[in-house]
Amino acid sequence: MLSIVATLCVLTAQAPGVAPALTPRDSAFHALNRLAYGARPGEADSVAKVGVMRWIEQQLDADHIPDSRLAAREREFKILDYDRADLAGRYRDAVQERQRLQREAAATGDSSRMRGARPMQEFRELGGELQQLAIVRAAISERQLREVMVDFWTNHFNVFVGKGADRFLLPSYIEETIRPRALGRFEDLLIATARSPAMLFYLDNAQSVAPGSSPPGPLSALRRGGTGVRRGINENYARELMELHTLGVDGGYTQQDVINVARMFTGWSIEQPDRGAGFVFHDWAHDQGDKVVLGQKFKSDGEDEGIRLLKFLANQHATMHHVSAKLCARLVADEPPDGCVDAAVAAWQKTHGDIRAVLRAIVTSPDFWTPQVVRAKVKTPFEFVVSAVRAAGVEPDDTPRLAQMVARLGEPLYQQPAPTGYAETEAHWVNSGALLARMNAAMAIAKECSSIPTIDDHAQLVDQIDQRLMAGTMSPHTKTVILEQLTDIADPQQAKTLAVGLALGGPDFQKQ
Amino acid sequence: MTVSRRVFVKAGGLALVSLGLDPLFLGRAAYALRRPFAASRRPILLCLFQRGAVDGLNLIVPHGEGAYYQERPRIAIPANDVVDLDGHFGLHPSLAPLKELWDNKSLAAIHAVGSPDSTRSHFDAQDYMETGTPGVKSTADGWANRYCQHDREHADTPFRAVGFGPQLPRILAGSAPSLAIDDLQAFGLRVPQEAARDRLTRAFEELYDGAGTGLLASSSREGFEAVQMLKRANPTQYVPAGGAEYPPGRLGKTLLQIAQLIKADVGVEIAFADCSGWDTHVNQGSSDGQLSTRLRELGLALAAFNKDLGERMSNIVVLTMSEFGRTIRENGNSGTDHGHATAMLALGGPVNGGQVLGRWPGLSVEQRFEGRDVAVTTDFRDLFGEILARHLGATDLGAVFPGYVPSPTRFVGAIRG
Repeated sequence: MLSIVATLCVLTAQAPGVAPALTPRDSAFHALNRLAYGARPGEADSVAKVGVMRWIEQQLDADHIPDSRLAAREREFKILDYDRADLAGRYRDAVQERQRLQREAAATGDSSRMRGARPMQEFRELGGELQQLAIVRAAISERQLREVMVDFWTNHFNVFVGKGADRFLLPSYIEETIRPRALGRFEDLLIATARSPAMLFYLDNAQSVAPGSSPPGPLSALRRGGTGVRRGINENYARELMELHTLGVDGGYTQQDVINVARMFTGWSIEQPDRGAGFVFHDWAHDQGDKVVLGQKFKSDGEDEGIRLLKFLANQHATMHHVSAKLCARLVADEPPDGCVDAAVAAWQKTHGDIRAVLRAIVTSPDFWTPQVVRAKVKTPFEFVVSAVRAAGVEPDDTPRLAQMVARLGEPLYQQPAPTGYAETEAHWVNSGALLARMNAAMAIAKECSSIPTIDDHAQLVDQIDQRLMAGTMSPHTKTVILEQLTDIADPQQAKTLAVGLALGGPDFQKQ
Repeated sequence: MTVSRRVFVKAGGLALVSLGLDPLFLGRAAYALRRPFAASRRPILLCLFQRGAVDGLNLIVPHGEGAYYQERPRIAIPANDVVDLDGHFGLHPSLAPLKELWDNKSLAAIHAVGSPDSTRSHFDAQDYMETGTPGVKSTADGWANRYCQHDREHADTPFRAVGFGPQLPRILAGSAPSLAIDDLQAFGLRVPQEAARDRLTRAFEELYDGAGTGLLASSSREGFEAVQMLKRANPTQYVPAGGAEYPPGRLGKTLLQIAQLIKADVGVEIAFADCSGWDTHVNQGSSDGQLSTRLRELGLALAAFNKDLGERMSNIVVLTMSEFGRTIRENGNSGTDHGHATAMLALGGPVNGGQVLGRWPGLSVEQRFEGRDVAVTTDFRDLFGEILARHLGATDLGAVFPGYVPSPTRFVGAIRG
């Protein structure tokens, strides 16, 4: 609490020579841009009234924020009614149905028979539903910071929905692995992702076995999820665990460490789909030797050995720094100043990776509030679409169009094949084609804008858009251009749509 | 107005100048943008990804190999159906439209090409072939994009690297500018009437004129330039040259649009497209059937593209690629399962055509990979690297394929010296 008070003092009493401090409304708008998916009309004022630091504290305590509207909307999504075992069963049935159709086609020599029947269609639709659910949640949840962190961690611990069994494993990954821990402890999140069937399948650990080991029972037990016969240790998960999830590429580990980590996770696998496709530890597949990782000796200890390693990795300095810097790149600036990263690392160290404490350290760092970072970051495709929907008062519906918009902007949800997830820096999503797609998206959203009334007077109209959609941050240039464009448009509805579209698709609204 | 090009912004444009680099260089780049690209006629590479792992053995058929017929009693191409190339290899009969190009030495096949990584997962193998880093999953960008990053002097058009499809493919992902085009005719702002579309485009252009400097400003300028350049090229009025007829379907449409874009002289250097339907586990067919249908479409599309571009093919290379090949022995469903090496086709004036290139490993059991698949004798990076170096003029292949140095001693000789 003391540090918050101190920061507030910093905020109000800027050192001479530094750009003037943000007004309470600007601070609120900034916080809403970074810690939420942008401001709904009037929200910058209401947050300023509560006090921006108090609002942030409320957001950090997400469980105590009522969110009944979202709860009602979530009930529309049938994907939330299925558990992993249901989906696993349906997936297995669909695969069998597809194989049956293929055999039939082979027997009759008529491959056209496959065309009408699409047994996997349901899973394609479920993937789409999952994307829409993410958009609905980001757009209307009152627990905005949690939604921001769900997106951050889902991307940090990326799993590609298009890889085989991950088509049915992803829903439970989002619901059961990521969401409950988004504001918890990093260590718990790391362990949960390591044990998640989605990650075990995606990075191939499910098929990693100690060399020479073989399972009890028939040979068919060797096969899992169509990935074929296991042939020994698989290093993929071990490598990405250290390079991406924890230490970072310069985190000081060696190829021998990668091998030893892979040995520690041998036997971490997935049950057969008809048993629910949950986590399973196969003792028979586990490498029983002792292992050394980063100079630390780990005695062979079955499944517990992997858990001990994950706890060890979660609290390495390189991990704290790597993940904190990535968080600051998301929340503060593409190239974050050292100050906020150091503050985050210090909080991590002190609290053993309490994500809320780390976030608090970042937002109470002067770097978060310095005018140089305000409205200096370009919104990601997802942030842009959701913030435009929120500002324009568009109700995200259950059609795939908003998810398709995000995809056209270059970052389709859950569809990054690489374990890196999407990058946190603008060079990866700002390009000419994607910008044209943003303009098209803005015009489409403007047609449904409900947050601006139709007004005959163009100057008033533009002022309303500035105040309600952008909390008064529209640049004079943007105002001038929009007003010029409106001069020969008499129909107020048409004028409104064009003005809102230009505002949302213009350069000011791309930034946060 | 075009001084702060994206590439300079990315490299820190001002920093470049202050480091003592000739500021005229910036001016020249800006000038180059307005220069008609037709004058330069730079070399062009079109990559065509056959997703799903094409059966190289039924694409370029080793009809002189007894083991081929022994292992494939139901799906081998009978010797008298094969379009013979050199007495040992022949084209699948559905690729007959390409024979003419073989004869005029602008078509070559590369056999036994593939990845050093042994994965038989489509997902992983495609990923490796596009990132150019087999075995390394965390590579963020694609090799074609890295080529663009390391050869920036030519980056003076938004159309330099274009992927056809709704999203940018992995091979083009990265920090160098690249464009995804789903449909050429719908590129730009989506307003049905032309006058209204032009007006809206101008309005946004003015808005972004106020965006100052930075990536947002330079990228938006590139976008509007692209729209203008395409407008001048007038893609709706396109008629293929030489009576070329593209086959119906997505592949034909895509290749037609790529031909349009090339002829519009907007500066395309690398184009990418993909086509699927090659994962023939069941009922693959022989001279006719499933694979035959797909190959017929491919052959017709490539032949039409070649005819349409006419003499411009003299500096174009079309390269087909696929993530891996298929098992030598047919399976119980008259199909083939995931294998290792496959065959690729290279087409165009610069190609050292009329040959099956690469070392043929043979099909006998001891010559196979893991006892079942065609062994890889050409690392795909050596083939891609050769084309980048000898066709596009890449100077630093080590940067394009990190962790590997494609070596001229391993080049198969796909490009004429």
